[in-house]
Amino acid sequence: MEIILQTLVDGLVVGAFYSLIALGYTMVYGIIKLLNFAHGDLYMLGAFIGFSLLSWLTGDGASAAGLLGIGVVFLLSMLLVGLVGMGVERLAYRPLLTAPRLSILITAIGVSLFLEYGTMIIWSPNVFVYPVQLPQTGWQVMGATITYTQVGLIAVSCLLMYALNLFIHRTIYGKAMRAIALDQTACQLMGIDVHRVIALTFFIGGSLAAGAGVMAGAYYGTINFLMGFIIGLKAFTAAVLGGIGSIPGAMLGGFVLGMFETVGTFWIGGSWKDVVAFSLLILILVLKPTGIMGEKVTERM
Amino acid sequence: MNKLFRKCLAVSLLLSLVLSGCGNAGQSTDSAAGGDSGNSSSGSEQIVIGFLGPMTGNNATDGKDMLNAVEMAVRKVNEAGGVNGKQIKVEVADDGCDPQMATSAANKLVSLNVVAVVGGYCSGSTLPASGVFENAGIPLVVTAANSSKLPEQGYQTLFLINGLVPDQAKTAMEYAMKKNAKNIALIHDNSAYAKDLADSAKAVVEQAGGKVIAYEAINPEEKDFSALVTKLKSLAPDAVYFTGYYAAGGLLVKQFRQKEVPGMFIVGDGSFSEDLIEIAGPENAEGVLISATPTAEFIEGAEAFVDEYKKTYGIAPGPFSALTYNGVNLLVDALKRAGAAEKEAVRVALKETKDFQALGQTITFNEQNTMDTSNFAVLQVELGTFKLAE
Repeated sequence: MEIILQTLVDGLVVGAFYSLIALGYTMVYGIIKLLNFAHGDLYMLGAFIGFSLLSWLTGDGASAAGLLGIGVVFLLSMLLVGLVGMGVERLAYRPLLTAPRLSILITAIGVSLFLEYGTMIIWSPNVFVYPVQLPQTGWQVMGATITYTQVGLIAVSCLLMYALNLFIHRTIYGKAMRAIALDQTACQLMGIDVHRVIALTFFIGGSLAAGAGVMAGAYYGTINFLMGFIIGLKAFTAAVLGGIGSIPGAMLGGFVLGMFETVGTFWIGGSWKDVVAFSLLILILVLKPTGIMGEKVTERM
Repeated sequence: MNKLFRKCLAVSLLLSLVLSGCGNAGQSTDSAAGGDSGNSSSGSEQIVIGFLGPMTGNNATDGKDMLNAVEMAVRKVNEAGGVNGKQIKVEVADDGCDPQMATSAANKLVSLNVVAVVGGYCSGSTLPASGVFENAGIPLVVTAANSSKLPEQGYQTLFLINGLVPDQAKTAMEYAMKKNAKNIALIHDNSAYAKDLADSAKAVVEQAGGKVIAYEAINPEEKDFSALVTKLKSLAPDAVYFTGYYAAGGLLVKQFRQKEVPGMFIVGDGSFSEDLIEIAGPENAEGVLISATPTAEFIEGAEAFVDEYKKTYGIAPGPFSALTYNGVNLLVDALKRAGAAEKEAVRVALKETKDFQALGQTITFNEQNTMDTSNFAVLQVELGTFKLAE
């Protein structure tokens, strides 16, 4: 019983990270049909910017910044990486918006490598230890350890996702996003500033990924410049799993993937983690290519 | 549109595979950390030796320590007038602890006409590199990598001055079993060295009547090992032996402590680094055991080396710096005895090494070009630093 509960909670935490990143994938795909492979690296960049801000704030970790400090750094990193996301869109993707999809996909991979090795040059290839780490105390529930941090992480993720949902469904920009996803040309004809809305999408996606990056840094404790690659692929898997283009799908996909991975690794063994994740991807593509919540996509096509 | 999406997906999956394969290869360029600037105009006045080690990637910290030791040794030799009147120049090749990168790094050194090579940190990348050097007839003095697969290749050009994996496994497991550990869990990270060490440990434990209750592998790129930790907690091991490198090792220690898994935690020498304590957090790392070749601080007679290293680089010498320092000095000695900077002569001189006095070890090679006596010991983390256990 304790094992089942423990695995569930651990899976939820992993899933929360996947969901946050998957949202960026799915939003960008939904709006301009681009699989943004640089997205995982925005997560990594968020972790690094958060690391530098925290180091600066705490004076090399001498004094703890406290929860408020982490909160400020968290929001600042989200803002900065959101801007980087917009910059990437402006410089690398916008000129190719009307080009064949393959060109823009390859550009995305270029951007990904650029971000990874740019980070390596700026911060060096070493493994960095986060200056502030979240507390590891918590409750003992039927033998399983559930820390405040884990609950906090899941809560913050859910809060961010809820806010995004409100934004998409209740604001004029959200409406514009949904409209552009349906028909970009028509939106342009109706006087919607399409580029601005696309830039906003990149901003939101980037900042969500950065938020996940800072949280992962503070939770696991270490960051390195290649950390975005694998998690980017996983988040992409989560997005496809949930039905790419669908926002609730990305959230669900992330949690399902995280859960499957943790349970799968528990049963089969640690080195099978990625195999489990990608087998799930293949299965879903064969059985239900639109993903779990993919109806919206077919409707849009 | 659906068709388009599937095409995109297929292409992207393919590309991602390609990317994951070559992600590291892109950085195989010469590191900025290169050795002496040297005066290339007087090529005949110099003896060029190579250094092979990770300058980038997860193990770059240890690689840098090794390079520092190489530069320190070479600077001393050059200041004392060089070898047979010639100055030594070091060419650095970055293997990134990646087999593909190591092969191209080795080829780079071959094309630079180095007379011998010192280094080799990860066994997984030293294995293919040693083949390249064997084909070119260039002697390789391995100062850190210690998989038993290295001497098993039977190469005449390969010399190992570090103890071998089976010796380490024996040291670690005998220590654990002496402390009444019967049920032992082994974890490796699927690298050649770590798997080799875990296999050796398994053999030692089973032979001594202990029980291996779990034999697990992790992916070193992961950050979340919660499933594995939960599983081991339910098995209640007396000791856990992790044989991989410190980046994953530190995280494992931390997550094991957070979930309060019982038993000793032992790591192999790939995790012997200050970074392990920093990553795990000093309070979590307290009491962690390490099976390793002791660092310079623990070697009698190496005080001068430690002082000079600290003065020059402002940090404590890493786990393999003393061994690497020994490797360069051994090579210099062989160069002197060989008389000529010619690779076959150097190889023969290395083979004929007899009772060479180095820091903490006396070097004489046996049939397999390895050491007869292992220098492994068990260390323990105490108040954030390493101490010899017992």
